[in-house]
Amino acid sequence: MFETGCPCYPEGGLGLVKKSSGALHRGLRLGKLGLSLTGSYLGYQAQNIFLSEEKRDQRRRRFQTQSSRRVREELGSMKGAVMKLGQLLSQQTHALPEAAISELANLQMHAPGMHPTLARAQFKSSLGLAPEDAFRTFEEEPFAAASLGQVHRAVTREGKKVAVKIQYPAIRTAIENDLKLLRSATFPARLTGYAPADIIDEIQRGFLEETDYLQEGRNIELFARELKGFDFLTLPKVHWDLTSERVLTMSFVEGEIISRFLERHPSQALRDLIGTRMVELYYTQVHELRALHADHHPGNYLFQPDGWIGLIDFGCVKRINFDASSLIRSCVGRTWRQGDKEAARVLRLVFGPRIPYARARKMLPTLEVMTSVLYPEGKDADPLVDFGKAQSLKVLAKTLKQALRDKVTNPEFAFISRAELGLFSLLHQLNARVNVREIWRRCDRGS
Amino acid sequence: MRSKHQKPTRPTRPRGKRHENKERNRQAILKAALDLFAEKGFCQTTTRAISRKAKIAEGTLFNYFQTKEDLALYFFEQELAQIIAWYQRDKRIRNAGLPEKLFAIIHRLLDRLAPYEEFIGAVYLRALQPASRLSPLSLSTQEQNLRYLRFVREILAEAAAEGEIPDTGDLGAYGFALFHLAVITYWLQDRSGGKEDTLALLDRCLKLAAHAIRKGGWDW
Repeated sequence: MFETGCPCYPEGGLGLVKKSSGALHRGLRLGKLGLSLTGSYLGYQAQNIFLSEEKRDQRRRRFQTQSSRRVREELGSMKGAVMKLGQLLSQQTHALPEAAISELANLQMHAPGMHPTLARAQFKSSLGLAPEDAFRTFEEEPFAAASLGQVHRAVTREGKKVAVKIQYPAIRTAIENDLKLLRSATFPARLTGYAPADIIDEIQRGFLEETDYLQEGRNIELFARELKGFDFLTLPKVHWDLTSERVLTMSFVEGEIISRFLERHPSQALRDLIGTRMVELYYTQVHELRALHADHHPGNYLFQPDGWIGLIDFGCVKRINFDASSLIRSCVGRTWRQGDKEAARVLRLVFGPRIPYARARKMLPTLEVMTSVLYPEGKDADPLVDFGKAQSLKVLAKTLKQALRDKVTNPEFAFISRAELGLFSLLHQLNARVNVREIWRRCDRGS
Repeated sequence: MRSKHQKPTRPTRPRGKRHENKERNRQAILKAALDLFAEKGFCQTTTRAISRKAKIAEGTLFNYFQTKEDLALYFFEQELAQIIAWYQRDKRIRNAGLPEKLFAIIHRLLDRLAPYEEFIGAVYLRALQPASRLSPLSLSTQEQNLRYLRFVREILAEAAAEGEIPDTGDLGAYGFALFHLAVITYWLQDRSGGKEDTLALLDRCLKLAAHAIRKGGWDW
């Protein structure tokens, strides 16, 4: 209707309004669900859906015909709240198949934005004093969205620049309510077709851990302690006196997110250096720390022109319980070629003990392809992996996705695969060339 | 947009020294009473204790407030005046979106009530009795009710003038007043840490309501 440029199309008429009403309708119904006094995370998501539709509505009035096509495309790609939760499920486990996997690298939990009055109220409700009393200066407008909340700049009374992460109120209760719903007899089957109780337990553990900012503070300290050997790495420092379960105050980490960093056209040498450092960090986490900064969202890495890397957002940290070192050692040496016994051992590492060898061995060609990219074979082979090459990323992504898609995959391995996927996509954007094998050897010797 | 309904927060009277003294005594009594309510609880606080703390003879105290209900009425009158004055002073909030404005008004009141939660709870129970002077239907609360309704109606009218919502007239103000009472009731029952459940409820209800008013209803 509004393609004609008519400024007074009827509400609920043709075109966009009609088209969006399905999603809106669903959103509102879930919003109603979320309006129950204790709240629902799904409800928050639903609210997001229609509030953003509302913003689109305003924008539409402004641009009329010009933006109509784009707006409709956006609405077309808009996912329902149920789908969103499904994706979240898949981030924690491998409960969901393909549709979710393509978005794995960029997934984050979102909470509705808070206006300055609400952010201030939540800060005060959690710490017992208002931000203006706690800090020398406090910026009312957030500078970044965080999982479950938002981040504000501030300066402490001592004059230190800090980032203050404030959680949306009552999000923990909301997630608990949703999980109760998920556990009910009918919901899981409808939502994912596959969400057994132990997986929901795992999700609950992960989600609820993420809502506890005190836990995140402890994670930061663990990583700072264990990774202090890396002098190129900056981690935030927690200000415990201004931190609670729902507010996290930490030192401000300087740097630019990848897209902005690349706008400066960094030299190839710098890209390679940063890429090498990122891989080194990754392997150290997997093999020595045996805990992984699991949120490889591009916004969580900050880069500086001198090659320094800032790592932020430690809400999602995963302990590694399977022998990743042994698996990579086998990959580098292609030990499965030694015979069935060894191949079975390697595959048990990937799939866990429950999957019969006959079924698991179908995965061997995939392993071959992946190792050929990451750890090139033969004396003459160039040991540098060129992550900038679309082909490399494609092969890696394909094999990892294939591993993820297979519902028999060991959740531990699936989890590492996802983290790798995030890392590889960052390295691809960086166009970095990295000698992965050499880094792995150093780490392996070290551990 | 300033409407003709805007009035000073207290009726204008000639304000002599005598009036000033009276007002000072009132304030002193209220402060003493609130301190004692917070310390000992509403029911345990005697008028004698209040008069002693306020350094005013018990007989004189009755000249100002005959019952604890009168004290409560005066308390709310003061709080309302404070909020209206704050709103008119705070430029940022006056330029904020409607949901934030309304959030700020309710939250600011809750924030100020927080130290006297038990007192407010007791007052609420009394206000439910139809014969109580605190009842929203009683004549003694009418002046304050109207002041509150005018204040809210003006905010809604400003939002309407800026095209944020359609004009809701008196109905909008009445609706908001009811919602405000409901939120205070919820807040009194809220056992979550820092009463954050109230914050979430308030935020989400206001956003949803603003959306619904804009769209002319909920399209379930």
